[in-house]
Amino acid sequence: MSLVSTWLRRGFLGLVALFISAPLIVVIGVSFNASRRMSFPPTHLSFKWYKAFFTDAEWMASLQTSLTISALASSLAVLIALPIAYAVWRYQSKAAQALAGAGSGLFLLPGIVTALMFSAFWGVVGHVGRVENVVLSHAVILLGVPIAMLSVGFQSIDRALIEAAQTMGASDSEAFRMVVRPAMAPYILCALVYVFVLSLNEYLIAYMVAGFSVQTLPIRIFASMRSGYQPTMCVGAVLFIVLGFAAFSFLAWVGDLPKLMGRHRPLET
Amino acid sequence: MTDIPAEPKVAEVDPARTDNVVLTGLLALPALFLTVLSLVPLFLLLQLSFAHHDEGGLWTPSLELTQYAKLLNPLFLKVAAFSFTLAIGTAVVSVAIAFPAAYFISRMRRRAQVTWLVFLLSTLSLSEVLIVFSFQVLLSGSGAMVKALMALGLMSSAHSLYPSFGAVQACLIYVVLPYIILFLYPAVSQLDDDIPAAASTMGASPVWTFLTVTAPIVRGPLLSAGLLVVIWTVGTYLTPLVLGRPQNWTIGIQISNAAMTTGDLPLAAAQAVALVSLMVGLLGLTRWLSGSGSVEP
Repeated sequence: MSLVSTWLRRGFLGLVALFISAPLIVVIGVSFNASRRMSFPPTHLSFKWYKAFFTDAEWMASLQTSLTISALASSLAVLIALPIAYAVWRYQSKAAQALAGAGSGLFLLPGIVTALMFSAFWGVVGHVGRVENVVLSHAVILLGVPIAMLSVGFQSIDRALIEAAQTMGASDSEAFRMVVRPAMAPYILCALVYVFVLSLNEYLIAYMVAGFSVQTLPIRIFASMRSGYQPTMCVGAVLFIVLGFAAFSFLAWVGDLPKLMGRHRPLET
Repeated sequence: MTDIPAEPKVAEVDPARTDNVVLTGLLALPALFLTVLSLVPLFLLLQLSFAHHDEGGLWTPSLELTQYAKLLNPLFLKVAAFSFTLAIGTAVVSVAIAFPAAYFISRMRRRAQVTWLVFLLSTLSLSEVLIVFSFQVLLSGSGAMVKALMALGLMSSAHSLYPSFGAVQACLIYVVLPYIILFLYPAVSQLDDDIPAAASTMGASPVWTFLTVTAPIVRGPLLSAGLLVVIWTVGTYLTPLVLGRPQNWTIGIQISNAAMTTGDLPLAAAQAVALVSLMVGLLGLTRWLSGSGSVEP
C-alpha cells in the first residue's frame, strides 16, 4: 500500500479512536476532579468522590443491585440459550430453530417497545416493582446475544474431531466432554460477559419495569444528573469501565478474541 | 483403551426416538420460558392497544380502535417521521464510519487487532446515561468542543452546542458505533484481499477500489448493519430527552410519557404497535428494493 493511503488510514482510525474515547476521558476526568464544577480538564487530582461513593450507603446499595441483576440475568440468558443452540447444531431440530428465532425476536424490537411490554406484563401479573422483574425481563430481551454467540461457537467445532473421537471408541458423552466442552468454554464466557455488560448499563427497561422501587446504578446516575449533578456518579462508571476492560482483556488472554468475535480466517501473529 | 474397536451400542431403542426424548428434555424449559416471557407479553401489548382507557391509569379489555384513531393526528405523524429520519441518518453515518474502520482493523496485525477489540468492547461498559452526560460536558459553553471551535476560528462567541439536533445525532452515532464495528468485523475479516489487489494492479486508486469493488461484496452485511441501527435508534429515549429541544423528541419519549406520566397505557401500546409496524414495513421495503435491484450472476 502506498504511503499516502497508509497515512490516510491511520488518520481515519485515529479520529475514530478519539471520538470513541472522548466520553470515557470526560467521565474518568470528572471522577478525579477535586472541584465540584463540571470543568474539564480537571484542575486538581483528588480521590474524594471515590471515598464519597464507597462510604455512601445509597450508592453502594445501587451498585449491589446492579451487579446482582446483571449476574443473574446473564447466567439465566446463557442457560436458556445453551440448550437451544446445542439442539440446532447437534440435531438440526426445526423446533430448536424456531425457538432460536423467537428468542432473538425481542432483541430486534426497539427498547421502548419491550420496556412498555414488560411494564404492562408485570402490572397484569400483579408483581410490580421487584428486582426479579428486571432480571427476567433483561434475560429474555438480551437472549438473542448468547444465542448468536453460542451458535457461532458450535459452528466453529470441527465435526471431524467428534467423529474421530467416536471412531476411537468414545461414547457421546465422552466426545462431548473431550471436544465440545473445551471448544465452547470461551464462547460461553464471552456470552456471559457480553450480556452482563449490556444488562449492567441498561436504563430504560429497568426504569419502566421497576424504576420507582429498584434503583439500579444507571437509574440513580440519571436521577443525580437531573437533580443537580454530583461527580460521585462518575465513580461507578469508572469502576465498570475498568471491570469491562479487565474482563475483555482476560478473554483475549485465555481465548482467541478475533475468533470469538466471529473471524474465521486464521490470523498470523 | 483397547485395540479392538468398541462394540456398536445395543440398538434395542430406536435412535430417532432417543433423539426426540433428548430434544424434549433440552428444549422444554427454554420453550416454557419463551412462551411465558415473550409470547404472552407480546400478546398483552397487542391486546392493550385495543383496550379502553379508564381514568387513573386503568384500562379494561375491549376491541376498540380509539387509540389508533388518535395516532392519525399530524403531531404524532410528524414525531414518527422525525424518529425515522433520525434513525436512518444515524444508520447511514455510523455504517459509513464503521465499515472502513472494521475493514482496516481486520487487516492489522494480531496484537493491534486484539487491542482494538478490547478497546471497543470496553467502551460498551459506558451506560447511555453517562454518554449523554459526557456529551453535555463536551458540548457545554465552557466545554472542550467550544474551545476547539473558537481556537480554529469557526465560532465567534462561546455558547452551548446543546440542546440541538446536531447534538442528538452525534450522540446517537456515538452510542451505536462500537456495536456496528463489532457487527461488521466478522464479515469484513472474511473478505478476500486478492480482488482489491487485482483492481489496484489494473490502475484503480485505493479509495475507488474500496468503494466499487470491496463494498459491493459485503452489501448484505452493510444493509443488515444499517437496519439494525434503525431498529435500535428509532425508539431512542434518553438522548433526545437530554440533548434535544422538544421538537427533536421522538416516538420513544411519546410512548414513555403516555405510559409513565399520563398513565394512558392503551395509547402507549398503540403507539408501540404502530412503531413496530412501520419498522416492519421499512424492513420489507428495503428487502424488496435490494432484492429487485440486485443482479445476481
